[in-house]
Amino acid sequence: MDNFKFEVVFPALILGRFLLALAPLPDSLKHDHQLTSPLTAYPRLQEGLYLFSQGIDPYSGGIFRHSPLYLAIFSTAIPLTKLTTAFLWTASDAVSAWALVRIWRARQRLSSSSRDALIATLYLINPYTFLPTLALSSSTFENTLLLLSVMFASEGQTSPSLLALAFLSQLSLHGMLLLVPVLLLLITDPISHLAAPRPFSASFKTLAFPAGEFFVYFSVLTFVSTLVCGSWAWVEQSWGAMVLLPDLTPNVGLWWYFFTEMFDHFRPFFLMVFSVHLLIYVLPLCIKFQHDMLYVVFLMAGVLATFKPYPTLSDPGLFLSMISLFPETYPHLRHPLVTALLHLHSALLLPLFHHLWLSQGTGNANFFYASTLVFGMSNGAALLDSVWSGLRVAVGRVPDGLEVVQE
Amino acid sequence: MLGGRYLKIGLILNLCTTLTLGHILNEDFHETLDLRPLPDGRLLSAFSFTTLLKEAIPRDPETLGSEDETQHYTLFPLALGQVLREYAVTELHMSLNAGKWDYDRWGYPEDPGVGTGAELWAYMGDSSAVSVDARWRGLRNALAGLFCASLGSLDDQRTTSPSLTFRPEGSFPQWTSASNHQLRHATLPSENVCTENLTPFLKLLPCKGLSGIASLLNPHRLFDSDWHGLSVHVRYLRDHGVEVRLNFQAVSDPVRYSVHGKRDWSLSSVFDRTIHSSCRVASSSMIRVARPTEKTAVVSPEPPSKSEDYAIFDLSDTATPLDISMQWQDESKFIYPLASSSSPLTPISVQRTLKGSIQSQGRLSVVITNHLPITIQTSYLETMPWLLQFYLHSLRTYHNGISRDDLVSIVSYTPPVPHLRPTLFQAVLTLPPKGTLHLSMDVMKPFLRYTEHPPDAERGWNLPPAVFVPLISNTTSSSKVASELNVADVDFRRLSRRIYTPVLLVDLATPDFSMPYNVIIMSCTLIALIFGSVFNLLTRKFVVVRVNQDSKPATRSPVPELKN
Amino acid sequence: MHAIRQRIRNVLRGNGDRNATRLQRRRALGTLIWSRLPELRLLLLLVGFAWILLIPSPLLGQSTFIDENALHPGQVNTYWNWGDVHQADLYLAQLEQLRDQNATSKQIAAHVSEEFRKLGIPSATQDYVYQTSQESYNGTNAYAVFSSPRGSGAEATLISAPWLSHTEDALNLRGVATVLALAAFLKGYSLWAKDFIFVISSGQLDGMQAFITTYYGEEPSNLIAEPLTLPSGVIWVALNIDYPGHSFSHLGIFFEGINGRLPNQDLHNSVQLISRHTGGVPVVLYDHLDPRDQPWREAELSIIPSWVPASLKKMSFVQEYAYRAKNLVRHVGYQARGKASGVHGLLHRFRIDAITLYAVPATGPHGFHAIGRIMESSLRTINNLLERLHASFFFYLLVNATTFLKIGFFLPAAIILSVAMMFSGLYEWINAAWYKTVVPRSEEKTETTELTWVERPRPVLDALLVIGATHTAGVGLFYFITLPAVVVNHRIISPVLFIISLLLPLAALPLFKQTSPGASPLWQVLKAFNLCLASTVVSVTCVLNFSLACTTAATLSIPLIFSSPSTSLPLKVVKYAFYMLLGFGWMVFATEEVRSAIWHWELMGIWFAPFICIVYTPLVLQAALVSILPL
Repeated sequence: MDNFKFEVVFPALILGRFLLALAPLPDSLKHDHQLTSPLTAYPRLQEGLYLFSQGIDPYSGGIFRHSPLYLAIFSTAIPLTKLTTAFLWTASDAVSAWALVRIWRARQRLSSSSRDALIATLYLINPYTFLPTLALSSSTFENTLLLLSVMFASEGQTSPSLLALAFLSQLSLHGMLLLVPVLLLLITDPISHLAAPRPFSASFKTLAFPAGEFFVYFSVLTFVSTLVCGSWAWVEQSWGAMVLLPDLTPNVGLWWYFFTEMFDHFRPFFLMVFSVHLLIYVLPLCIKFQHDMLYVVFLMAGVLATFKPYPTLSDPGLFLSMISLFPETYPHLRHPLVTALLHLHSALLLPLFHHLWLSQGTGNANFFYASTLVFGMSNGAALLDSVWSGLRVAVGRVPDGLEVVQE
Repeated sequence: MLGGRYLKIGLILNLCTTLTLGHILNEDFHETLDLRPLPDGRLLSAFSFTTLLKEAIPRDPETLGSEDETQHYTLFPLALGQVLREYAVTELHMSLNAGKWDYDRWGYPEDPGVGTGAELWAYMGDSSAVSVDARWRGLRNALAGLFCASLGSLDDQRTTSPSLTFRPEGSFPQWTSASNHQLRHATLPSENVCTENLTPFLKLLPCKGLSGIASLLNPHRLFDSDWHGLSVHVRYLRDHGVEVRLNFQAVSDPVRYSVHGKRDWSLSSVFDRTIHSSCRVASSSMIRVARPTEKTAVVSPEPPSKSEDYAIFDLSDTATPLDISMQWQDESKFIYPLASSSSPLTPISVQRTLKGSIQSQGRLSVVITNHLPITIQTSYLETMPWLLQFYLHSLRTYHNGISRDDLVSIVSYTPPVPHLRPTLFQAVLTLPPKGTLHLSMDVMKPFLRYTEHPPDAERGWNLPPAVFVPLISNTTSSSKVASELNVADVDFRRLSRRIYTPVLLVDLATPDFSMPYNVIIMSCTLIALIFGSVFNLLTRKFVVVRVNQDSKPATRSPVPELKN
Repeated sequence: MHAIRQRIRNVLRGNGDRNATRLQRRRALGTLIWSRLPELRLLLLLVGFAWILLIPSPLLGQSTFIDENALHPGQVNTYWNWGDVHQADLYLAQLEQLRDQNATSKQIAAHVSEEFRKLGIPSATQDYVYQTSQESYNGTNAYAVFSSPRGSGAEATLISAPWLSHTEDALNLRGVATVLALAAFLKGYSLWAKDFIFVISSGQLDGMQAFITTYYGEEPSNLIAEPLTLPSGVIWVALNIDYPGHSFSHLGIFFEGINGRLPNQDLHNSVQLISRHTGGVPVVLYDHLDPRDQPWREAELSIIPSWVPASLKKMSFVQEYAYRAKNLVRHVGYQARGKASGVHGLLHRFRIDAITLYAVPATGPHGFHAIGRIMESSLRTINNLLERLHASFFFYLLVNATTFLKIGFFLPAAIILSVAMMFSGLYEWINAAWYKTVVPRSEEKTETTELTWVERPRPVLDALLVIGATHTAGVGLFYFITLPAVVVNHRIISPVLFIISLLLPLAALPLFKQTSPGASPLWQVLKAFNLCLASTVVSVTCVLNFSLACTTAATLSIPLIFSSPSTSLPLKVVKYAFYMLLGFGWMVFATEEVRSAIWHWELMGIWFAPFICIVYTPLVLQAALVSILPL
């Protein structure tokens, strides 16, 4: 693998992806519940655009939940046709892969490395990121923005990074959770200090300005979106959905069945608990890994992939692809094969049980629910493995007869 | 005062026996029964009981706050009158139907409201006193109580105001306060109709089910027919008064009843009853028998009066007991017409189906055929609950296989809001002569909370019928139309009446109803597990332990603390 | 008291450092499992195969019962009488005329639909043309929709009879006559809650396939079919009549659908009960008459081989076992290949529970009268349904008409085998990471050397590449053999293809040279992944299609588990030949099977062919590579 040249592999893969995107495949995938969520599904985007063009407020109904920015872009600049969509989504993935490579280079302080091709490939042929792109799920753009933001941050370019992050948070509110690590990454460096942890050096005062900058960008974008659709209705429809879960369409996450089966009088409470639970992870991770903010970003991606209200396969896809940035942790992974097998099983079970429940009618909802549980487990296992190995690296190899444990 | 009123009523009842009331009271009551043999051997019987309250004006909603005037009715149904005045309803139409009206074989019904299940629509004046929606809620609950039908569940999730299709049939009163009227419409296709609805219906008639034409309403036979429905229509006619029309229609199959498969019928064979006495308070009671084109069909007894295509019996001057019958003398057995030979009875015919068997999406397909040699405009109405959500951008139109999206013009579209509001889709279609229009649209099937499913969740949900109204302009040559549809004179008002499609059944994916606790437990466990282990890893500190095979107490050396 | 607690604590966590003891315990456990793994693996294999053999035994299985309370099978009086039988005979006479003047499918359809219209039931015909790579099918279906009195037309029940009988090349004349007479009969009653759709489909499977796909608005690229002019509602249940003979002795029930989908068992159970009690007709599975009922035909009916001693043959256990085994083999034959055992099987895809009622030809005693009553009573039962049949009665093994196995009793057979594969996969994975070498002890006084385990890197990426490559090759193979040109002159191409696929891996062999000196050999990692993959495939397929999963597990478990490279060339050759035969043999030795598999794939999208090409063959190919890779 390593002997492949990045300059060869990268364009080749992009080309292949583009051709596949032109094939009739997307039409059969774009309704798939695992690849698209109510917030990212392409048919809903089309519907919203259609209503918008007809002068009907797309947010007055319950179908369209995308950000108004999409309306602004796709109704004016870029009309959605077979060709443009294929190009846009493929390009977006290309940018993501490229950003991933740039992050790797920044982390290694290299202008190019033998590993570039591998990293790009792992992102581009990862089915979890690949299939949602074919299904034209807008979560692809979210991944791209995240990686761009991180890339700029690790290259020390404050404004672009914060702008990308602001866009991300605009499209999917959970981007906010990455604000702290990205800010800290901006004032530290992306180089791996996992092996040699050190206390946080930079001063927090320098944070004030970037933070302010971010909020300026964010509020400007919010204002623009309000201008686009002429009212604040979109906030409740698009952001509100991420907290209130009005649409119970099945997805690979843990929320939908929980709140399908939830007693009505407990709904608000558990909605609150689930949303807050996402916030809990940010600070502890930042403190524990204060020496390597990039790793925190990586772990947060894992947390989001596991606990997001409306995840698609591309969220775990991003997390798994980012593993390729941290080879130093591989020797210390606890159960790589078990995690891999869990993922293999759930990756096969999800579509199968979805088919049994909704198409064939021989299985009931519990089948698919069970497979999402397995999927949650496999994501959790991956997350735990990375946390462990990220900490374990610091101790380094120990001679025979010695064991490293926690107490 | 009150006593006086009872005294008065008692007095009136005395008078009833002697002479008809129509003249002294300003109410009169007409009853008619239309009997029409249908091309496929069935028999349509349409009862109609009309009470006119002269010089009456619907209540002005502005006066809802204040005391209402007392209501003295003798023929006019008091129970209904009270409801009307309580909620200041200007015009009201309610129908409860069972079965699927087959326009292609039966033609137009006498009473246009034949949508399967329950349908209720009303025009009410705006008011500052009580809002229209509040009165709408009250009205449907009151009617639910009055007719023992579950009209109460025609809630906001099913209420729309499709003003294009449902035009007022009467006129609006000129109140002092210039207020405009609003339409409220709702359908409940899964409501089935049976004798518990007929009994209160009969109670509203002056002669109940005892005498006159109403005595033919025999539940045992009516509810064994192929199609039946009852309806209530209240409208205000300027300088006449308030008119209440109670209709009952039934399509029965004499061929099924007869042993030899003949289509001969008689009142006794169809209703298992004959008319023994006329209703004395009725100012007119007519039985009109439509005479089929075949001359071999003989009506007996000999009708006192005939029009060219009707035999008319007036109960007031015919001998009772009356048992009208019709025989086709040359027929030993009814030969069904082969579908190809029968010419269309309606200008258009519509098929509406839900394609696909997957529980997450499907495709709605509507096929409209124009039988006339002229271009027809028709309005198309969908009042779809949020149980089926349209992808309007995927609406495609084909005319004889060629894509013609220009033939559809969308008048108004209100997207559905989950758990809250139905879709309202109104469009006008242009049907080229003698052509077939194919509409298709992707639809999405939502996923419900487990508390929102009905007890028989696996059955699915009935979806209301779509309604079409052909808009035929009188300018088009009537002779051509007449030659097409085998009707003598083309009454355009009759041609441009509502056409209801059959209802649809959509099955939505169901969760497991026995699972709530298990799901809460399992999901929470998983989350707690991951959460716990992550923080476990984050908080505990590393130590290096010497593990030697012989179980000596192991020595240990903590890793130097990572941070200080 | 306290002392006791103290002692327990000592036993539990030892007297030293807690972590150390915990680790020691963990290591001890690890080594225990590790050392016993080979035996455990063998044990699992043994149990798995034993379980498979146990499935037909009379010890397992429970008698069928009705789960859906609304059904009330056989609780009604039936009104089908000799008049209706006469009607059926009249229809039969007309149909026989058509047969004698061997009428085209179009004429037949026209005639049938006119008969429906004479009954006052709206009917129509549907022309269709199917293009498959082998030949093109065209025909005409006749169908009629009887809308029930006071029914909203939202629900419907489908009653069908194909023109050709499914089992042998007989015409299903009596079946069609039954449907026509039934239509006339049903119209006389007003108690029906659902519409009836009568379908007389032309051909064997293609006609119904054309009808049902059009009904549900699918447009397969290789099908040109007239749109249906008579719409109706959602179909929940369908009954298909197959009555080729003159009269019948038993009612056979066929239930397998395409891609291994089974109808809700309640349907089978109700019809079975009704047939026995209302119709007085004994019920069997398929056309398998029980040899114990007809001793004079034992030779042809029983599957007990002749060499079995008579004493054993007479044992009721053995006879029951043989009978059940016969049914199961037939069942697996249909399900594993994803084939529909009748026209009903095509409907399952659309969430319609359907079975075929097959009148097993015999010289008597039953005829139109019996089947009419069975149909009437069954339809009354279906008419009672307020909901779709939904109790999770879709996973079962019917061993005979009245006995079935719950999922818990047969699933473990396959699961255990897959667990065995998983374990040996993990075993190889760990093996790959460690190797024993001699390292000089770094102690000053003695020069003794001892064996110690040394860790080494694993060529994970290369192994993944190989696996990816094999499966991609599988996809390529599938698309190649489904090319029309290839399908047509299959006879010539397949041997060539076999040779090529035999040589290709050998040609690719030089690519797999030892990647990095320290690393573990490729074959080990490859084998580990191969086993894990196979195990996953089996355990996942179990729920969808047990027969397929079980057959795959039984075929693959042993060869994959014991695949290993060898130093001696002849041994290598033998192993390689064996695996290639296992993986690619079907190309040359089962050409007919291949043809029909491809046909089913094109016509009905049955994914047996793709499964073999894309999943099964590559798995075996990987094992073959393991056997020839350098040690």
